[in-house]
Amino acid sequence: MVKPILKLITVAKEVGVVTRKYPYESPLLTEEFRGKIEIDASICWGCGACVKACPSNALTIRESMDVMELVYFAGRCIFCGRCADVCPTGAIRVTKEFELATDELEDLEQVVIHRKVKCPICGKHFVPQPLEKYVCEKCAKGEIPTYMMVCPECRRKVGVKKMIRCKGG
Amino acid sequence: MNQHKDLLPQRLRPLESLIQEWRWIDKGRAVMLDVKRDKLVEVARILYKEIGAFFKTCAGVDERPLWGGFAVYHIFGIDEEGLDVVIYVKIPEKDHPWVPSIVREVPAADWCELEFRDMLGIDPRGRLTQRLVLPDDWPEDVKPLRKDVPYGYRPPRAEESRPVEAGMYPSGVPVGPYHPALHEPEYFELYVEGEEVVDVRYRGFHVHRGIEKLAESPRFDYNKVTFLAERICGICGFVHSCAYVMAVERAGKVEVPERAEYIRALLLEVERLHSHLLWLGVAAHLLGYDAGFMHAWRVREKTMILAEYLTGSRKTYGMNLVGGVRKDITPEKVPKILRVLEEVAEGTKKVADMIVSVPQVRKRLEGTGVLRRGDAAALSVVGPVARASGLNRDIRKDYPYLAYKDVSFMVPVYSEGDNLSRTLVRVEEVFESVEIIKQLLDRMPPGDILNEEWDIEPGKYAVTSVEAPRGEDTHFLITGVGRPYRWRVRAPTYANIPALRPMLRGQELADAPITIASIDPCFSCTDRMLVIDVRTGKRSVLVTRPKVRVVSLG
Ligand code: SF4
Ligand code: SF4
Repeated sequence: MVKPILKLITVAKEVGVVTRKYPYESPLLTEEFRGKIEIDASICWGCGACVKACPSNALTIRESMDVMELVYFAGRCIFCGRCADVCPTGAIRVTKEFELATDELEDLEQVVIHRKVKCPICGKHFVPQPLEKYVCEKCAKGEIPTYMMVCPECRRKVGVKKMIRCKGG
Repeated sequence: MNQHKDLLPQRLRPLESLIQEWRWIDKGRAVMLDVKRDKLVEVARILYKEIGAFFKTCAGVDERPLWGGFAVYHIFGIDEEGLDVVIYVKIPEKDHPWVPSIVREVPAADWCELEFRDMLGIDPRGRLTQRLVLPDDWPEDVKPLRKDVPYGYRPPRAEESRPVEAGMYPSGVPVGPYHPALHEPEYFELYVEGEEVVDVRYRGFHVHRGIEKLAESPRFDYNKVTFLAERICGICGFVHSCAYVMAVERAGKVEVPERAEYIRALLLEVERLHSHLLWLGVAAHLLGYDAGFMHAWRVREKTMILAEYLTGSRKTYGMNLVGGVRKDITPEKVPKILRVLEEVAEGTKKVADMIVSVPQVRKRLEGTGVLRRGDAAALSVVGPVARASGLNRDIRKDYPYLAYKDVSFMVPVYSEGDNLSRTLVRVEEVFESVEIIKQLLDRMPPGDILNEEWDIEPGKYAVTSVEAPRGEDTHFLITGVGRPYRWRVRAPTYANIPALRPMLRGQELADAPITIASIDPCFSCTDRMLVIDVRTGKRSVLVTRPKVRVVSLG
């Protein structure tokens, strides 16, 4: 009967106290830990790649007439970091933050607001401004950027018209 | 497999005259047999009883958008050949589809037949049927897995309640089955005579989450389902995500870098370490030996930190994508991994030795909850439960996948079939896993870890099995456009719960909690049992700790 107890005492003595007194001590995190994400609004183009890759719908797009909002809701986030993988600008950073408990739902939300470009022909708003700016910069100067400023619908119309003109119709 | 490509594999020859056609699927790892409905029972009987195949699962599929009818796939495996056999039965009826039930020949098909009846309305004829998966108030005419039911469909709330049917013994006050505070809602009714359990009734599926349907929905794609699959289980999630990606990769002929296969196998073993140590702790806790529980979990914690170090997360690793893994194991990490492995092996040895040497613990494990070999084979049980009952089944050996063909390890097998055997199988597996990880690290080839260039053809099949800590996890997949057309998951506990009936019958009530826990069913079921005294008909609720418990260790 004595033996098992002795074994227990030996083991317990050997290992000592292992409990970390969190939150008075630092939490047990390795350098690889993935927590909440942060979006750098100054870099983000609003391309939506992260929204498409997010498995849990934690990232969504809210659109209104002239504004496009990229909404991150940490309450749905599974901290997979896929969004950071696919983001073409590196706007998303995976942080180590995990202490997210709150009694205000808004605390879990981050919103990146992008103004949308206005189409000079029909006046409708379409792509987010930074995205347009990037595409324009990428393209050669010349005829293309004028089309770039036009919304897809008007662009189609202009294109068709031009084609017809070329064919002499 | 050294069979000729155009010939039906030797073992399946007896079926030649009964099948219409056959073909290789899944990169030559499985055979699909087209069988007419009237031959199904005979084919299943020969396959199961004469050829000696194990039954894995069955899946109903709504194939009306493809060719106008429904279909049922029965999936068997011949362990010795590492060969999966899929019986494909077409059902021409658009309304009231049916197939003959094979349950009389193959008892293990019991639940999955009821499942396709619930989910697709395919009637398994010639057997008793009842609702299994759908909640009692789900509308009779909505079959959720049919393609014309939208994935977000929510039925109206039930307005009235129905009385619960009484069991086969005197009825009393029905209590449960939901428990707000404890792990998962599963529900057992134990019928007792005095202290002896005479029968058991189980009612589960209270938390059916519709994951298979969700994966077919337009809001998912092949890569996103990987993360969904990982959430099937909180303990062996990586197993599910591996089984799923492997199914997609094999069906879609996606090349996977070898290094990625090594990393996956390594993480599967890390997951097994944590799962077995978790189980060991909970088993000690159920037997009232909380010191054992705490020390087992102390050792387990090291494996959790290791998992985070390797993947970024303690659980739900988020490592898999179709085509490989997301994070490499860099050479700097290796020494730390090896150090942790040493600590885990040494710690486990001491703690396991400490736990089983406590006489009260040992007595309650030895000779209790016996599952005889015959019963184990008849029910096609899997994992440590099978291995403790003398069945030498381990998917890692029988159907080698990932990097398991390149490592050597032992498969512990015990013949007693009692709770102690199941404990020892798991403890020994911890040491084997440690060795496997060391070998994997040693032999890991250099190179890429992710292939993102792939394109998956629709209408291809794969059956994958992965040895989870609690047994064989089987996924069956039909590819679709951009996402699976049908994805069927059979978790190991699904195969093991029916074995509780033979285990519990005729044993002391006090041993029931540990016996139920001994199949490692994610533990939830242990805390919800209804005890009915057959003589008085009195019902009461049994919580985790029965009255009899080990109080002192002195
Ligand atoms: S971490 Fe994952 S779940 Fe969270 S926002 Fe990014 S992609 Fe979505
Ligand atoms: S965060 Fe990155 S991926 Fe997401 S919208 Fe902005 S630029 Fe695109």
